Amino acid sequence: MERQGDADSLQSLLLSRSLTDAELLEASDAAPDYAILPDANVLKIGGQSIIDRGRAAVYPIVEELVQAKGEHQIMIGTGAGTRARHLYALAAEFALPTGVLTDIGAAVAGQNAEMLGHLMARHGVPVVSGTGFGALALYLDECGAAIFPGMPPYDMWQHVPTEGVIPPYRTDAGCWLVAEVFGARSMIFVKDEDGLYTANPKTEPNAKLIESVTVDELIDMDLPDLVIERPVLELMRHARHAKTVQVINGLKPGLITRALAGEHVGTMISAA
Amino acid sequence: MTDPDPPFASKDVQSTLMRQTLVDRELIRPHTERPVVRLLSWLHVVTIGGRSIMDRGRDAVVPVVDELRAAFGEHRMLIATGAGIRARHVMGVALDLGLPTGVLASLAATEAEQNGHIVAALLAEDGVSYLPHTSVGHQLAGHLAASPAVVSNGFPPYEMFEFPSPVGKIPQHRTDTGAFLIADAYGAARVIYVKDVDGVYTCDPATAAEGEAELIPRVGAAELLAMDLDTLPIDRMVLELMATAKHQKEIQIVNGLTAGHVTRALRGEHVGTIIYTD
Repeated sequence: MERQGDADSLQSLLLSRSLTDAELLEASDAAPDYAILPDANVLKIGGQSIIDRGRAAVYPIVEELVQAKGEHQIMIGTGAGTRARHLYALAAEFALPTGVLTDIGAAVAGQNAEMLGHLMARHGVPVVSGTGFGALALYLDECGAAIFPGMPPYDMWQHVPTEGVIPPYRTDAGCWLVAEVFGARSMIFVKDEDGLYTANPKTEPNAKLIESVTVDELIDMDLPDLVIERPVLELMRHARHAKTVQVINGLKPGLITRALAGEHVGTMISAA
Repeated sequence: MTDPDPPFASKDVQSTLMRQTLVDRELIRPHTERPVVRLLSWLHVVTIGGRSIMDRGRDAVVPVVDELRAAFGEHRMLIATGAGIRARHVMGVALDLGLPTGVLASLAATEAEQNGHIVAALLAEDGVSYLPHTSVGHQLAGHLAASPAVVSNGFPPYEMFEFPSPVGKIPQHRTDTGAFLIADAYGAARVIYVKDVDGVYTCDPATAAEGEAELIPRVGAAELLAMDLDTLPIDRMVLELMATAKHQKEIQIVNGLTAGHVTRALRGEHVGTIIYTD
């Protein structure tokens, strides 16, 4: 029973060693990885890129999600957008710390979740956050989808960036971490571009679409602008479940459905 | 940067960061470079170790609590408690069940909270209460205007949003890190870690031969990381975060089992080990 022996030795290391002990960390690495919700998909709806555009962008997406939830379980995370940028700019003028910016920015993702929740209410889709995540499995089972505000709950405990005060872990990170902790089947970022480009396609007409890329390649490229929060790449390096994410264009009908079916319709970013 | 797509411009709120991805450093820099204010410059953050102090029970905890109480007239404090042996146990069970780091973080944080409730109970008569994260994050100023100290969970509220770890599955944001992050966010006067050793040693004093382990009184955070010691009395993530911290350029580790050291550290005396940003 070597398996039992491993478990005993992990337990004894845990009770006797420092939590930074190399042998303990190695032993914890060998523990099995149980995926909590392996059939669920996490889909992030961008704030600035989608929700701020109003019904022209949001209604068709809601319709597509309602169709898709019959076939797939979907956890829908929301981004923040233009009001968060206003708050960050204002708070930065007062030189307030990153923790305060995190807190006030989180409320914007919450408003977007609330609005999306009202649009999907007639289809039985609830909004969850905090302890509400405890009922997530039931919602997914019963109606196929649930909505959550994408900002992680780091509040005043947010890491500070190397420069400035903008919170480094925002809604892309929050949604990815949900996919990772639940062992979700896929992580799809719905934005207003076809995927990741070599530069910001909104300002650089020569920007080229990158169809597939690894995290290491992307970090090496050190692009000045990215379609996804930079720290997500660092988190993905240590992923146990969410090792691939796809960035797709939510303004093009049908792509969400195809991405949920596993098709490659945008940019695939993979951990290795 | 202006919106290249005029139909949507009306949906923007005007701001200097409008339509930015918030990823391009060159575009953000001009708008966010003011030195960050210290919200509570008088705040003292004191961390009471879980395994090192709490698990030792009455003999270790009561003298530390007595020293803190005696200093209430001089300093206003956020007392953050660590998790200790029960967190080790529950993480062991959860790991065996195959559960992820985010679940371990949430389970372990519960134990730090319970230790906080114990310390708060010991200080209740002095006006001290346990505060949950939301109150520490939003109402600390008010509580500390009414009371000399509050107690809270040392773990930060990362829980299921904990980062996956580079090696293994033990959550990285624990009490040492949580206390450091909140101290830096508030721009606290100092952060003191109360442990069961005098500070950082050249090797583990618990296992080294007599006289072999030497106390390091003062050391740079990056220097200490580069030394790659097998055992540290402080979580490595704190040392990493010190490089980018806005205010907390120094932390102090003191021995709670040595009478008077907590009091002296609160007064700004150099006892134990001081780690600084280098």
